[in-house]
Amino acid sequence: MALVKQQPSETVGQEERKRGRDRDDLELQLSDPSPSARRWAVRDLAECPDSSAILVAHLHQEMDSSVREIILTALTQLGDEHAVAGLVECLRSEDVFLRNEAIEAMKMLPDEVAPIMGTLLADSDPDVRIFAVNVLESLRHERVEEWLKEVIEHDPHINVCATAVDLLGEVGTSYSREALEGLNVRFPDEPYISFATSLALKRICSI
Amino acid sequence: MKRILIIDDAATVRMYHRSILEGAGYQVDEAVNGIEAMEKSLQEPFDLYIVDINMPKQDGYGFLSELRSRDISQAPALMVSTEGASNDRTRAYAAGANLYLVKPVKPDQLLIHCRLLLGEVHP
Repeated sequence: MALVKQQPSETVGQEERKRGRDRDDLELQLSDPSPSARRWAVRDLAECPDSSAILVAHLHQEMDSSVREIILTALTQLGDEHAVAGLVECLRSEDVFLRNEAIEAMKMLPDEVAPIMGTLLADSDPDVRIFAVNVLESLRHERVEEWLKEVIEHDPHINVCATAVDLLGEVGTSYSREALEGLNVRFPDEPYISFATSLALKRICSI
Repeated sequence: MKRILIIDDAATVRMYHRSILEGAGYQVDEAVNGIEAMEKSLQEPFDLYIVDINMPKQDGYGFLSELRSRDISQAPALMVSTEGASNDRTRAYAAGANLYLVKPVKPDQLLIHCRLLLGEVHP
């Protein structure tokens, strides 16, 4: 899913760009009735230091999907502690679109997400753990396979393990072989686990 | 031969469901998200949809709502998800699902529910 989409070539009123561009002005502009003005405010806020908390707070109030998309892109660019925490909070959202966009944004922040991946994979909510595995799907980080292996060795929830096995079928190596075989022992009566581990092992053996 | 469209972003899940359904004699097609599923639905009719919820670009709720509201198909839809909370079920039925199952679905469970929805067996 592309996070950065080209915006339609709408005419942005000159008055919107003539407004103040310091942080307080821009924060006020986030309440502007025009989505276009709000998008510009977000873009400009992304250039301001320490603006992540403002953007995160606004993300949960913003109803316009195009503005939310720009906020997520801005948080990805900022990539600081508040930005990452805001993205993580989106994983708990009931809003599927917001959740998916946050997952895509987090995939682009391997160095910032890596230190919190262990916490995410140990979250008490299995859905959050599944979304954390989804983040690993294209996270360019050297520990991806290690995290996935830990999931299938220790996570008690079958769907978290199933999501990890799906991914190991794509990125796994012989390093995960024993863990995959062990998963069949942990979930002996689950045909899906048997099917998915068999596929993953077949692929690993063919490497 | 009844035609079933599997809509899921996870390739392994699609392969698993396909192997079960084809083994039972159904003709199966696949889509990776709601948008691809909609394109396929506009081209040809399906007798049953098996729909995941969490998918990029367009999720299962969005796909089913559009399918029903635009009257593209009223074929039965079986929604499958990792999420078992009651509000997920409520949203699924509101979007137009006829049945909701929590993953992973066992082969006999999938087949009996598909047959029920296709009117091939009766409760």
